[in-house]
Amino acid sequence: MSKISVGVWLSLFVLASLGSSAPQEEPGFPFSWTRFTLKNGLEVVLSEDDTLPLVSVVLAYQAGSIHEQPGKTGLAFLLENMMFMGSLNVGPMQHIGYISRVGGEPSASTTEDITYFYQTVPANQLALVLWLESDRMKALEIDAAKAERAKQSLFDEITERKAADPYLESLLAFDRLLYPDFAHGHTLWGREEDILRLEVEDIRAFYTTYYVPNNAALVVVGNIDLPRTRELVEKYFATIAPGRKLPLFLAPRPAEKKEVIQAFQDPLIPSPAFHLGYRVAPPYSRDHYVLAILDFLLFKGNSARLYRKLVKKEGLALYVAGGIEKRKDVAVLKLFAMNNNETMVELCQKSILSEFNKLRMSDVSSEELAKAKNLFKRDYLNRLATPLERAVLLAETVFSPVGLDALPDQLSRYMRVSPYEVRMAVNRYLVPEISVILNVKPK
Amino acid sequence: MKKGSWICILALLSLGSALAQQERFRKSPPIPDPLALLELPKIESMRLMNGLTLAVASRPDQPFISLELVILAGESQSPKRLPGLASFTAEMLSRGTPLVSAADLEERIDAIGGEFSTTTTPDFSRFSFHFLDGFLDRALETLSLMVLQPDFSDREIVALRRTQFYDLRQKQRDPEFVGRRQLLRVLFKDHPYRQSLYSEDVIKNLTRKDVQAFYELYYRPNNALIVLAGNLDLAIAARKVSHVLNIWPKKDMERPHLPSPEANAEDRFCFVDLPQAKEATLVIGNLIFPLAEPDYFPLAVLNQVLGGTPFSRLFMNLREAREYAYSAFSRLEFFRSCGYYAITAAVIPSASSASIREILRELDRITRDKVSNFELEQAKSYLIGHFPLRISRLDELGRSISELLAFSSGDAMWSRFNDNITLVDADRIFEVAQRYFLPKPVVVIVGSKDVLLDHLRDIDRLEVYDLKGVLLYTLIKGVEG
Repeated sequence: MSKISVGVWLSLFVLASLGSSAPQEEPGFPFSWTRFTLKNGLEVVLSEDDTLPLVSVVLAYQAGSIHEQPGKTGLAFLLENMMFMGSLNVGPMQHIGYISRVGGEPSASTTEDITYFYQTVPANQLALVLWLESDRMKALEIDAAKAERAKQSLFDEITERKAADPYLESLLAFDRLLYPDFAHGHTLWGREEDILRLEVEDIRAFYTTYYVPNNAALVVVGNIDLPRTRELVEKYFATIAPGRKLPLFLAPRPAEKKEVIQAFQDPLIPSPAFHLGYRVAPPYSRDHYVLAILDFLLFKGNSARLYRKLVKKEGLALYVAGGIEKRKDVAVLKLFAMNNNETMVELCQKSILSEFNKLRMSDVSSEELAKAKNLFKRDYLNRLATPLERAVLLAETVFSPVGLDALPDQLSRYMRVSPYEVRMAVNRYLVPEISVILNVKPK
Repeated sequence: MKKGSWICILALLSLGSALAQQERFRKSPPIPDPLALLELPKIESMRLMNGLTLAVASRPDQPFISLELVILAGESQSPKRLPGLASFTAEMLSRGTPLVSAADLEERIDAIGGEFSTTTTPDFSRFSFHFLDGFLDRALETLSLMVLQPDFSDREIVALRRTQFYDLRQKQRDPEFVGRRQLLRVLFKDHPYRQSLYSEDVIKNLTRKDVQAFYELYYRPNNALIVLAGNLDLAIAARKVSHVLNIWPKKDMERPHLPSPEANAEDRFCFVDLPQAKEATLVIGNLIFPLAEPDYFPLAVLNQVLGGTPFSRLFMNLREAREYAYSAFSRLEFFRSCGYYAITAAVIPSASSASIREILRELDRITRDKVSNFELEQAKSYLIGHFPLRISRLDELGRSISELLAFSSGDAMWSRFNDNITLVDADRIFEVAQRYFLPKPVVVIVGSKDVLLDHLRDIDRLEVYDLKGVLLYTLIKGVEG
């Protein structure tokens, strides 16, 4: 780690030791980074960390389910899978082989708006990762046989997810109510009938549109030499041609301001349950920071308000979980509870509303707010704990509306949230008139 | 010529032209730079006045502190009539003191951005506490409440019985868990390690008196160690830990001698019925005993060659070449008195018999032929490259150090790990394969009886067990005998 970084950390510890109740400046990213853009539009971020001889590389593409068109769902997830099926110079599944053989860990994930490819390897193997990633960005090999294999693997994954979670179907129905527009409301992994009909040309079109340098961010964090890393990045990526201008993403239909209560019948669920949700302030807006702390106050930790009240004290729910969910430019607060019977469902909903009423009428105590902030801080700092997690956070922030320059200030913005702001946010967003409830019934 | 053939020719021509046109460096993987030096955090340790061992790994760059408390008593110390007692006692520690309720303890942990969890192995019970830097005093105060003043109230005992019962029921839906447990039940027979392989029905037998007795006997500072990792040094840690735990009274005790289990030597095929399972899960393994430390390193390399990654022999054979399996891996696990290897494969039901044959063939092969130079170097490269990844998170670092100390493993497994792996050659692997892999392994098959038994008719003698490990009946060539 550089001397500057150590200095910043030290100041963090001095501040932390003073206690967490007073507002304080918390460095949101106490590591230095370098950023540049290649001529083809690829955003590159490099950050040094010499704690261990490791390097993490994240290549993120703005290609998620919200970029899919009606009738062509499942493409983003399918393509994540196909990126491991071989490119011009790398055979099928060899990407994983190359990384595993040197002791590294490869992986990938698709979200609603970004698909990430990540790997951590011994630092001396950085060039190997850049060679592999550039090959599949430049020349992925897509053919009918591979498409069929990828589809089959996607079907298997959908079957597995459905088998593992008896409430999944109801959650998908709830998402359609909470996100009334197609882009945000359809499932991450697509509709089975759409996937079945996808042609090789559809997959190729999605790849050539979104898997291009001008729609991607490459982040390298770890035990690296900056000039040498820049040289390697330019060697492998600078000559990859940029893609065409990206299609405009249309803003979603605003949420309807009315209460929605519906029922969902599912004979396979083990007990009655319900989903409750609210459309809240968009990510990175002023209220978003307040709502994130409220999320921790209500749902996170073993002493969270709703868990303690509904499960432990009142015994109205068998299980309760929730939190803020982001889908690019839209955020919602979601809650899911499982109950013993339908009377409990009703009582549980009443109890939640009465808890929200309390929060609406009076400020939370400074102790409770400090606890929620410390839990939030733990989660936030966990995202900085390893080079890989840091690289993912950097990639996510490159594509965010606030951009990398806002990163150092991020943690402070959460830590500055006051009891009054929490009360105002509850008044503004957690109101029955705009709530969406889906009651899940066994028959 | 048909249209399809023209398309193929054009595709090949276009691929050939793409390959020819690209920059030279894209055609093959780059040569790696020299391997960077691995500098591990130094472990400093001392013994406090009451016999508590304290170790510290300083990581000033971290915004967290990781605390591991290890009580050197695990499930093998549970009395024979009370399996599960060690795990139950460990879980009870965070469930309140006479003055501070379980809910208040949770509140204290959350307030410092903390996470607290408990693990019980056959050899020890471990309490992992991870919290924000700046809160060491508060964390130690909370820990001392749990360690020095546990209440073991009847109310919490009833609540924990219920939780553990359902947790274990849930785990039993996982065929791999069921298979591994059955394998170890057979291997450990009457050995004290069998105590850790209990079913959910024994939990109801545990009482407050049993928990209190186990606690009184084993929860002593001279039978414990604490590992702290984060922004602190040994002097600060010793002062703070002593301040809260110096009143923890020590008691003379000897760690019980564990008898040596013997490796299985005869054909043993066991079946466990799991009606909802769609595939067949195979768990095949045997004990590694006596284990001398220098053998660990060639065994680790051998395991990589055999089944450590998706590019090892088992995966390449069962999944890639024969398409029998969804996955096929091998692993090694070590306890204080022995170790074991286990091969786990999830296979297509109709290929279960053939898969067993292939796994046994791979085991036989590794005892007959020396591994190739390519496989050897690949396996060593994996183990050396992966070592820093195992300790990249602070909690993983603390956990690794606590295990080193609990097993008294020493420097060979820490700062000399990479050197020891580098020294392994094909002869040493052959030697350990002959020593540990020649005895016949135990084969456990888990799956739906209705689907699988038909495919297992060629097994001479198949023992059928229930989830509790009770032998129901034996099939001789598919017929109840």
